[in-house]
Amino acid sequence: MAYSEKVIDHYSEPRNVGSLDKSDLNVGTGLVGAPECGDVMKLQIQVDPETKQIIDAKFKTFGCGSAIASSSLATEWVKGKSIDEAMSIQNTEIVEELSLPPVKIHCSVLAEDAIKAAISDYKSRNEG
Amino acid sequence: MAFDQPACHTCESTLVSRLFCFSCNALQPFPREIDFFEVLGFPVSFELKSTELEERYQELSLELHPDFYGSAPEAEKLLSETASAILNTAYKTLCEPTLRASYLLHLQSAKQKLDERSLPEGFLAEMFFLQEELDELLDSGNAVELSKLRDDLQNRKTDIEADYAPLFKKHEEQPEDSGILQQLQTHLNAERYLRRLLERIPVAD
Repeated sequence: MAYSEKVIDHYSEPRNVGSLDKSDLNVGTGLVGAPECGDVMKLQIQVDPETKQIIDAKFKTFGCGSAIASSSLATEWVKGKSIDEAMSIQNTEIVEELSLPPVKIHCSVLAEDAIKAAISDYKSRNEG
Repeated sequence: MAFDQPACHTCESTLVSRLFCFSCNALQPFPREIDFFEVLGFPVSFELKSTELEERYQELSLELHPDFYGSAPEAEKLLSETASAILNTAYKTLCEPTLRASYLLHLQSAKQKLDERSLPEGFLAEMFFLQEELDELLDSGNAVELSKLRDDLQNRKTDIEADYAPLFKKHEEQPEDSGILQQLQTHLNAERYLRRLLERIPVAD
């Protein structure tokens, strides 16, 4: 099955690959996996403590092209958004943007889960 | 385990495989929801002698081969083609232990709802760590460390595979205990992660 141009673009030139310091209180880390295909995805966000905006995001994904593209796109999308705005990103938007075929929809679900996991990690470490 | 043995549609002998009657050599019309064990004529169980499986497969693939039905009526020709295709899929699935375990679990999951994504505690973080470590080893081309990692992963994979048979046996004895099937699901998920790591390591010369 052929990948869409946008998937190939993100796959061959992934945006925001790397890591943030996960001990930093302003950083939230999400680690999620898709056992049905053996993929593992880490997505991190850095939040401005004053404005509560996501000022940076990094990812690293071990998986297929669609999983890499989905997480690459996810980091682009969350940057500049507030936590609440980022929380509302739906996997269907990723599917649409990347023209993912039905068999690759779970890759977009994984990216959405990773955003939510990173935000919930950030929140849990900044409670009270 | 209970195994309903159906009869041939022409001579009424008891069928070994649902695809073909060895008594009168007739192709059998088979139901859509046929399972791979019925295809090859074995009870639904993880325990399966690979030599017997191989032998049955060879016998059947010879009898069902579309080449023998070249001048047969269209319906029979078609039946031999679909039967051959399903025979090949069934054989490939049942002869490999992980695929067989996964298929058996799939058959059981109609009766018991399982968490299909379960993994051992802390496993995902460890797999991420190992993937990163493998990246570094592949970059540096450290053959000694790579082969050490490969052996380690292979041993863990073998340990998991060695658990299939006793776990399925336990399940046959205690079919109500869904914890056993869940454990198998977790094993299969973990095996897939280990396999993905192993696939990235080039085979040593």
